[in-house]
Amino acid sequence: MKDFKEYTREKPDKEILSRLISYIKPHKKRFIFVLVLMLISIIVQLVPSLIIGVTIDVVISETLTVNEKLNYLVYLGVGFALLMVVAFNIEYRQSLWLQEIGQKIILSMRHEVFEHIQTLGPAQLNQVPVGKLVTRVTNDTNTLSEMYTNVAANLIRNVIYLTGIIIVLFVINYKITLFLMLFLPVVFFATLLFRKYSRASYRQVRSNVSEVNAFLSENLSGMKITQAFNQEPKKKKMFYDKSNHLRKSYMKEILVFGTYRPLMYLFSMIGVLLILFLGIGDVIHQEVYIFVFSAGLLFSYYSYVRDFFEPILQMAEQFNMLQNAFASAEKIFDVLDTKPDIINDDDAIELSSFKGSIIFNDVWFSYIPDEWVLKGVSFEVKPDQTVAFVGATGSGKSTILNLIVRNYDIQQGQILIDGIDIKKIQRESLRAHIGQMLQDVFLFSGTLKENIKLFDDTKTDEDMIQAANYVGLNHVIENLNDGYEHKVLERGNNFSSGQRQLISFARTVLYKPSLMILDEATANIDSETESIIQESLEKMMNISTMIIVAHRLSTIQHADQIIVMSHGKIVESGTHQALLKEKGLYFNLYQLQYEERKEA
Amino acid sequence: MLFSKHFFKYYLKYIIPYAIGIGVLLVIDFIQLYIPQYIGQIIDELRGSQDVTYMQSLLLQIGLLAMGITIGRFIWRFTIFGASRRIQFDLMNTMFIHATNLQQSFYSEEKVGGMMAYYTNDLETIRNAYGPGILMLVDGLALGTFAVIRMVRLNPTMTLYAGIPMLLMLIFLVFILRKFQKLFKTRQASFEALSDFTQENFSGISVIRAYVKEFQQKATFQLKSSDLYEKTIGFVKYFVAFQIIIGITINITILFIVIYGSSTVIQTTNLTIGELTSYMAYFFTLIWPIMALAQFFSIQSQAKASAERIGEYLDTEVTVKDQEHALEVELKGNIELKNLTFQYPDGDNPVLKNISFDIKKGEMVGILGRTGSGKSSLVDLFLRTYNIDHNMFFIDGYDVMDLKINRVRDLMGYVPQDNFLFSETILDNILFAFDEKDEALAEKAAKLSDVHDNISEFKDQYETMLGERGVTVSGGQKQRLSIARAIAKDPEILILDDSVSAVDTKTEEAIISNLFNIRKNKTTIFIAHRISTVKRMDKIILLDQGELVGIGNHESLLKTSPLYQDMVKRQQLEIMVESEDAS
Repeated sequence: MKDFKEYTREKPDKEILSRLISYIKPHKKRFIFVLVLMLISIIVQLVPSLIIGVTIDVVISETLTVNEKLNYLVYLGVGFALLMVVAFNIEYRQSLWLQEIGQKIILSMRHEVFEHIQTLGPAQLNQVPVGKLVTRVTNDTNTLSEMYTNVAANLIRNVIYLTGIIIVLFVINYKITLFLMLFLPVVFFATLLFRKYSRASYRQVRSNVSEVNAFLSENLSGMKITQAFNQEPKKKKMFYDKSNHLRKSYMKEILVFGTYRPLMYLFSMIGVLLILFLGIGDVIHQEVYIFVFSAGLLFSYYSYVRDFFEPILQMAEQFNMLQNAFASAEKIFDVLDTKPDIINDDDAIELSSFKGSIIFNDVWFSYIPDEWVLKGVSFEVKPDQTVAFVGATGSGKSTILNLIVRNYDIQQGQILIDGIDIKKIQRESLRAHIGQMLQDVFLFSGTLKENIKLFDDTKTDEDMIQAANYVGLNHVIENLNDGYEHKVLERGNNFSSGQRQLISFARTVLYKPSLMILDEATANIDSETESIIQESLEKMMNISTMIIVAHRLSTIQHADQIIVMSHGKIVESGTHQALLKEKGLYFNLYQLQYEERKEA
Repeated sequence: MLFSKHFFKYYLKYIIPYAIGIGVLLVIDFIQLYIPQYIGQIIDELRGSQDVTYMQSLLLQIGLLAMGITIGRFIWRFTIFGASRRIQFDLMNTMFIHATNLQQSFYSEEKVGGMMAYYTNDLETIRNAYGPGILMLVDGLALGTFAVIRMVRLNPTMTLYAGIPMLLMLIFLVFILRKFQKLFKTRQASFEALSDFTQENFSGISVIRAYVKEFQQKATFQLKSSDLYEKTIGFVKYFVAFQIIIGITINITILFIVIYGSSTVIQTTNLTIGELTSYMAYFFTLIWPIMALAQFFSIQSQAKASAERIGEYLDTEVTVKDQEHALEVELKGNIELKNLTFQYPDGDNPVLKNISFDIKKGEMVGILGRTGSGKSSLVDLFLRTYNIDHNMFFIDGYDVMDLKINRVRDLMGYVPQDNFLFSETILDNILFAFDEKDEALAEKAAKLSDVHDNISEFKDQYETMLGERGVTVSGGQKQRLSIARAIAKDPEILILDDSVSAVDTKTEEAIISNLFNIRKNKTTIFIAHRISTVKRMDKIILLDQGELVGIGNHESLLKTSPLYQDMVKRQQLEIMVESEDAS
């Protein structure tokens, strides 16, 4: 399956990062405020360890009286309680605002992607399965949302926190801290090594998971073939092998994490022992590093060092999530960077009215280069005429409709709309005059009413009912308890194909277009609905210009002009009677349908 | 812990790694609390006699403990988590084996997507219970108990006062987690609604464009995505508030410990300063067990739900299987149907009514009929995909329900209507019926199905991968590969279900001629709707709406069956129409 990658190029991490950051710009003020709050919040977080150290010194002090000590405790209690109130307030606000910023960014990104996809041409959209497109709008933005709110926020926090700890450590006892810093490279080296292995094992797990899933999905669908060929043992062995492969990659992951985390614990304990060893000496000798290094300060120092390693662990493990997020970001940017292949020319005009004249002059068209679908097609549709196109599958009938609404542009020849070259007309304004009844009548979830109005609130209920009655839809509605409020389920599976055709008729009539286009459904329609459809069509033919691509010849007997196509060319044209007399292709088709009807 | 029948046995199967892992965990939980104790003693020593040697010996002991804990942590991870992954592997395979035994009526009811969820989501939550879940239970109970015991030993009163908020926090956590799950589900629902809307919009984009309704849809999208934003923020607000409350509880308790403890140290001899620092450390150690226990409950409930689903799946009865005393005989392949009537298990009406005919070994037979005539159902019965009543379907005189299913399927070679191929190499696909790779055989079969030339044009030829990660072959090529697969098996009875519909008439002719040549003395059955396919057959069986309406060769049917005559006439017209197009 192709993706949008062929329209765009690979993006380096730096570029993705800067683009992601650019999304913060609209929220710049708040974001800076959040960062400031975060800073304050972290500073506050650093306080308790220090306070405990001071408290210890107070408690063991030989110079303070018992009362002084107890008073201290009271001040401590009150002070700490106040600090807590302030701290948690800041924490709440900061967390919430950060989340809000993240979610707002995601919201606007979702809209951007959704709207952009809407501007893409049918050729581009057909290349990618709908599911993938939906993933871009929903899941991939979700991954990014996680990144902004959890990963990125935590990363920033951890970096600030670590920096804060290091500063405090230096202030308390710079000698020991220097020793500690020498020890750090080992820790960072181990962390980098871990990152490398964890990324590799993570990737392996993911690829094995998708292999197992792909195997399952395919083989559960194709179990009939496996059973028919007695190949269950073979498949069982294949699954065993694949799932074992997966299990082994999980084990590797366990090994990686199982080594890294305990190792980091060991490092943190070595660090602790190191500083305790050195610190004991400093306490006994009452060394002064800015402050007297007391037992209490030793304990504070110990607390900070103990807290030092956890953020490093977190950062190392969160890098994987960051990678994930970057991958999602790249996919989203690929979509946004894809330029729509069909855009209006700068000098395209708006079509204010449409009389209904269409002329094709020697039109050649292909969807794929060198595979011509239309070869030199020329015809004329006069205003208020009804023109029908017939022919075998692949003769080019539906393509003509695609070209009239300018879903695609032709390679050779000319199409004139009311005498104007179609390429000079803005697409939207052209389509505003055309009512399309497509082969697959797409029904949306909602009520029948909403589907007829197509969610257009400017159309009144009276207009809708009038349109529905005009096409005979009321005969269908009569059998429904809730009438037009009847719910459409699952893309309209609760309506027969004939009923869906009638609904699309109602949509069109309500729309009051200058040109109606019908691409007739090929499915079998029950005879009762069929006669309603026949009647409606004849009535609709009187409203304005109509172009029909027909499969049932009975539909078009009253057309002003019938154009018979074969392999991209027009082979016959004329009225129904004239064509029958010719005893050519049309005659054969007509006979064929007659026989088919007899059989049914 | 999972206790139902399909799951409990794994605890026993892996009792050794679990025992080791849990044992090590218990030891670690016990000894790690000595570290704060020693540090407390160092603090006291610093205040007291300041014996450096003594303090250094304490440091040494801490170092030894740390090493032990490091090794221990590696061990429990490897054993407990390793066991959980093994169990996941075991379960996966059990489930798949069951899938290979299940009958097609199951597959027609269940969607593949739903089945996949068993292997992905459900299995993952169960794995959580076997791995992290066990860890959290043991760690939570053991570490928590050990820490509390130490705290009580040091100062019972303080522990009582400190314990109450912690206990409340645990209960609070359990309830909160449940509320979270609900909020999360609401948010999920909003997410899925947005997804569904987007899916619909993109699928129906041609209609939207046709009526220039982009603007309306944009507005609706904004509505739904804003709803998602609101629900997410609602969830987040709750989450943040929850974290804050936890934080406040912990901090208040610590403050209390510091103040109460300090005043105890100052005013009494019940507690030394070192002991107080140890006490605070024990208290901090308690936080993780509380979180762990709360998470354990959450994992538990999710795993239980998944276990039910998977249990139901594993309990699904296999209905199409060998009966007791099924016969293991060599079959030649003479088919006889006697008044066969068949109805699908979930169907309302019989799709085959009172059909009787026989097909002798070596015959070339065509089964003809329109949609709904019952042709494909017949094929399903030949393949033993469904059960039927006794005394209706005989092979070599044996009732097919008495025969071993494998034997019946061994007889058959099947070319399915959808030409299903696997995402493997062309060679493996063609040789699907075999275990050994006989390239010569594959080539021979490919030539007979007129697909060898196409294969040779591919860069990797027979090693070309098919499917999503390989090349996409055309419908006609797929069909011919599917035919090659069945021909390679050289079965006694070859069944082609509408298998020449995607190829042009010339190729159809070539394939049928080849089959006539190589299938002497072997039965070949063509299910078709084109007269051209079955014209030359020894026998044509004409079905209509589940009933047998004609049997004989082309000439005799032309004379005797009005339905056949109509079909011939119609198809002749179709040919005329199509050949006109050759201009």
